[in-house]
Parts: sequence; C-alpha cells; structure tokens
Amino acid sequence: MKKLLFILLLPAALLAHLNIAVTYPYIGALTRAVGGDHVTTVVLAKGNWDPHFVVPRPSLIAKMRRADALIMNGGQLEIGWLPPLIRRGNNPKVNPGAPTFLNLAQGIELINKPSEVDRANGDIHPAGNPHFHLDPHNIPLLAKQIALFLASIDAEHKSIYEKNLESFNAEWEKNLARWTRVMAPKQGMKVVQFHDNLAYFNKAYGLINIATIEPLPGIPPSPRHTLDVIGKIRAEHPCCILHDVYHSTKTAEYIRDKTGIRVILMPHDIGALESIDSLTALFDYLTKALTDD
Amino acid sequence: MQKTFISLPLFYALLFADAATILPVEKRTFEQSKFIPDISLILDASYVTRNKTDDEIAHYEIPGVAHGIMGAHAHDGNSHATYNAYNGFNLNYGELVLSSSVDPYFTLDGTFHFSENGVEIEEAYFTSTALPYGLRLRGGKLLSNFGRLNSQHHHYWDFGDMPLIYQAFLGDHGINEKGVQLQWVAPTETYLMFGGEVLQGENEMMFGTASIADPTATDPDAAPLAESADAPALFVAYAKTAVDIGETTVMPGISYARGTSRLDHFEDETPHAFSGMSSLYGADLTVKHYFDSYSFLTWQSEWMMRDMKGTQYAQPDANTTTSASLRKEQAGYYTQLVYAYNMNWRAGVRYDNIYQNDVTKNDVLQDMEDGFERISAMVEYHPSEFSRFRLQYNHNTALYNEDGQRQSVDTIMLQANIAIGAHAAHDF
Repeated sequence: MKKLLFILLLPAALLAHLNIAVTYPYIGALTRAVGGDHVTTVVLAKGNWDPHFVVPRPSLIAKMRRADALIMNGGQLEIGWLPPLIRRGNNPKVNPGAPTFLNLAQGIELINKPSEVDRANGDIHPAGNPHFHLDPHNIPLLAKQIALFLASIDAEHKSIYEKNLESFNAEWEKNLARWTRVMAPKQGMKVVQFHDNLAYFNKAYGLINIATIEPLPGIPPSPRHTLDVIGKIRAEHPCCILHDVYHSTKTAEYIRDKTGIRVILMPHDIGALESIDSLTALFDYLTKALTDD
Repeated sequence: MQKTFISLPLFYALLFADAATILPVEKRTFEQSKFIPDISLILDASYVTRNKTDDEIAHYEIPGVAHGIMGAHAHDGNSHATYNAYNGFNLNYGELVLSSSVDPYFTLDGTFHFSENGVEIEEAYFTSTALPYGLRLRGGKLLSNFGRLNSQHHHYWDFGDMPLIYQAFLGDHGINEKGVQLQWVAPTETYLMFGGEVLQGENEMMFGTASIADPTATDPDAAPLAESADAPALFVAYAKTAVDIGETTVMPGISYARGTSRLDHFEDETPHAFSGMSSLYGADLTVKHYFDSYSFLTWQSEWMMRDMKGTQYAQPDANTTTSASLRKEQAGYYTQLVYAYNMNWRAGVRYDNIYQNDVTKNDVLQDMEDGFERISAMVEYHPSEFSRFRLQYNHNTALYNEDGQRQSVDTIMLQANIAIGAHAAHDF
C-alpha cells in the first residue's frame, strides 16, 4: 500500500520547478518565454476550438489537481467552462483570489464594455471584449504581468524571469515595428466578421468592423440578419469577411456568393491553424492575410 | 425683488437627493451589493399528452419494484407529483439557485424548488475550497455522486424524465440527502476520483430510519413492528475515472450504497411496510465524442442492482398484520445516445429495462414479472444557451394496473426550460 502511494505521488514530487496551468495556448507561449526552464506549462484549451466553449473534460480536472498555479485570460472568456474544473480540481492553489492565481484581464483596459448588461443583447461579456491578446501592443503588458506573477510565487528565480522578459520584449518591439509598417496602408479599411473577436486587432491597425454575421454575440446567424449583412456589404464595400476558424463558414460562403466579397480565415490563437506555432507566427499570418492582395 | 423661499424639509430633501446622485457607489457607506451571491431562476414547464387519464396512471405500478412513480400520489398526508405528472399543462418547478464564496475556506450553494405545493430545499450545502491533498468536503443537503445522473439537476438531464431504474429504485429525486461527502482526486496524470458519503438515509423508495408502528395496535404504547434505526443510516462510496482518446472521452464509474430500510406504506391503497437492510450497486459508462466546439455524440449508460433483505409487513384486514421474510434482487439499466448537431439542435434516444425482479418470500422464490421496458426519443431546440424546448416521446410498457395487467403508456411532452441570472457552468 505504501509503495503504491509512493508511485502515485512520485510525478508531483519529481517536479522541482513550477507546474503552471494556463487556459489558452497564447498564455502558454508567454509563460514559457518568461518562465524558461523553471516552469512547465500545461495548456487547458485547444487553439483551434472556440475559446468560449472549451469542453471541461475530466482529464483537465487531473491537470488542475496537479497545478502549482493557474493563469487565465479573464474578462469572463472562461466563465462557461473553467469554474467546474476549479471546483472539482480540489486544489486550493488554483482558486480565484489565491496568490497562485493570475487573471490577465486585470492588467488590461478592456474595450467595447456594454453600457447595458441584458441577455436580450446576446451572450455579452459585461466586463468588455475579452479577446485583448489580439492587439500585439497588449502582448508586452501580458508578458510583464506573467513575469511579476512568476517572481511573486518563485522569488528565487526573479532575476531570471526579468531577464527573460527583457529579451522577449526586445524581440517583440522589432516585430511590432514591422507589423505597424505593413499595416499602415490599411488604416480605415472596412471589414466584416463572424463574431467581434478581432476587435483589438482592428483597433490597433485602424480597421473598421461594419457588421458581424452573428446577429448578436453568441446567437447563431439568422436568414434575416444575413440579408441585412449582404445589404450592408453592397452599400459599404468592405474588403473582406474575417472569419474565425471554429465557426462554420457556411453563411460566410453564402454571403460571398451573393456579393463577391473575400472570406479570409483568421486564426485567433496558437494552434488555430497548423502553421501557427508561435505568437510571432500568429501576427505574421494575420498581417500578411490582410496585406496579401 | 422676490425672495425665493424653500421650506426646510424640502431643502433637506433636495440636499440628500443631490448627495445620492453625486456620491460614487463605493463611497456610499454600508454598500454591500458586491457581496450579493450569484442568483439564477430556472423555469421548467411542460405540456403533456398521454393515452391514459391522470387517475388511471396514478394507480399503476411496477410489480414488486415500485408503485406511484408516475402521476400524482398522496404520501404522509402530502400530495406529491412527479415531473410532467398531469395531462395538459404542468408547472414542474421554478428553481432558485444561490451560490457564493463564504470566506477563503468555503462556498455555499442553495437550490430551492418552488412548486405549486410549496418550497423544497433541493440542495443546500457548503463546500471546502482550501483542503490540501486533493480533498474536498461537502456538507448539508446534497445530491449524492452515486452513478452518473444522480448528482445532476433535472434541468441538466438529456430527457424530461429520469431513467426507469432511478425512478423505480430511488424515486424522482434520486439519492438526495442530509449528510457529508468527502472526495479525493488522485495526483495522477489520468483523472481518478474516490468519494464517500455518510447520509441520513431517508429515501422514499429504498432507505429509511423511522420506526414502523403497528396499524392494528389499539394501545398507543404498543411496541412498533420495527424499531427506529440508528442514524445516519446510509453510506455511499464510488470511484470514477476518465480517459481521453483523441477527441473522445471515456468515463467509467462504479458506485455502492448501503443503508437501513424502514419503509412504511400502511397509508397506501395496499397497506404494507418493509424493515431491513438494502444495498445498491451501480456501474456507469459515458463515452463523449466532440466533432468540433459545438457538435458532439454522447453514449451514456448506467446499470443498477439492488438487494433488499428484511421483513415485510402486510395488513390483509383491519385487525391483522402479518410478517414474512423478504428479499428483493432487482436489476436494470438504461442506455442513451444523444447527438448535438450544433448549438441549436439536439436529438436523442433512450432505452430502459429492468430485467431482473427476483423476490423471495419466506425462502420461496415468487413468480414475478420482469423485463420492464420503456423507449424514449427526443429532439431539442436551443434558441440560445439559456433557453431550451424539448419534444419527447415515451413508449412505456413497464407499468401494470391494479388487476395485474400490463399497460402500454404513450406520452408526448413538450418541455420548456428557461434560465435567467448568473448560473454556474455545468460539469462535463
């Protein structure tokens, strides 16, 4: 019996460094970049699935059970799937409010905060649009929060986390300058989306979202609304439909057939498309998709 | 120049009205609105059409297994109704849910069922949030984690009614008891959870602790037929695990419950009572495959076997009670397949069967029917995450009338399930 218990507990004991659970792949990449060799990152959600509807499968409970800390996106993006995992993980370290729990939304100014919170307006996020990592200018703010967080729970390696952050930022600055340069001519360009998940990206580069294929957030397309969108496209001539990878493109294709508008698949996270294997690759792809004519 | 005159009360009224509008919320003293718990209200209503009248169905039984499981019936002087009990319109319940952290160590959850008969505390429990080593303690009134379906609330079921084995062995609420629950999640790569519960033991169909009085006794001090049992009297244990194979999750579980049975039905049409010990064995398997974020296929099955051993009391006439040693070994299962096409549409089928009904009276195996079956099919439309309309058809051949004739009950129900407020996300 003792031997069995020893074997069961062994994996946890072997990990001398921090075992950090994070909700989305982009947080995993940032945590790895800042944490370096001193953290193991366990990503809960898959990058090619809807971040609002992650399946709370029991294997994720096992991951929560063994985590030393939890980093989430916040802004209610995880409200539909993370709370049951926290409740069933039976691990005080991943409880909201614990010093080993980080909510990244707290360090970001959220946009599109609804003035009226009412579900008649769809499945809205009362705190504002939570897809803030798609503004590449927010990435250093998120990396900094993660560095401070890691330093606070692992003071011994504080200087390493700071150094990792510095080199990450230096690299990111160069990327930012490049993306700003290529996106500059696109200022004021009109776009259509399925769901407003590129709100921050659009704001960063001056793109204007004139319509969403969903009539309201979380409410699937209706024929009547689709006709409205077609009318709007004919009147305002947006460049394209920026479509996420996880909703069916059926309605978007129908709109394309009626109006001739382009449909561009826009990945929202690492792993959303097979070729997107890093944060840099994500924004390279997004900027290239819009400037490749 | 005319002097403006403002009366003193009016002056103060204006002053305070003004103060109320200019003071930011956080500066108003004693402001506690941020501590209001999550509140939600769920309405469950249905329209039912059956090929039998409400009066007929209330008298039907599964011989040797259960009676009064469909329609409304009287028990302990209260009128009980199962869900979707009546032909025509039914208001099953308005479920009020309150939930919040208590302090750094506990959360508190309350689920209240408001029906036309009154209010029932469906669940009210505290849960630990700070225990180490993967332990979690819960106490109060709670739904046991026995099996797969038992801990889920009615509004989360895939069908508008419970599987036959639950309804027949445990009643509409399943194992819903006062007590404590301790669960442990193992620190392994694979999800592995063990749980144990100590419960009062007051289930209407299987478990009970209250003494059974002799209905023919004239002396109020006469000894009861069966003394009251020690309480708590019901003990539950289970183990659950889950394995992911690609986008498919396989989730098996085994459960066991054992407790004292004191079941007093002397007020019923056929007066009888039972005193003894009962065991309930359960095994469940759920296989869920996700095609994408919104579309999935779930195959869910549970098997249950109960073993009740003790003394049966009957009252053949007004002046006599008789007793006999009794053993009931009964087993059954349900298996269901649910397909979610997208966020809006779902459809499913379910098959119920209680295939074993061995009743031994005074060591003589009784000649009892078995193979009690029901088939169900449903289709659901979800306008959003918060509203759901379900059309369900049941073909039930498990029920017998008072003359011992097998009945064929066909039911069509249209169920509406609507939720408002801040409602916690559901488990897998």
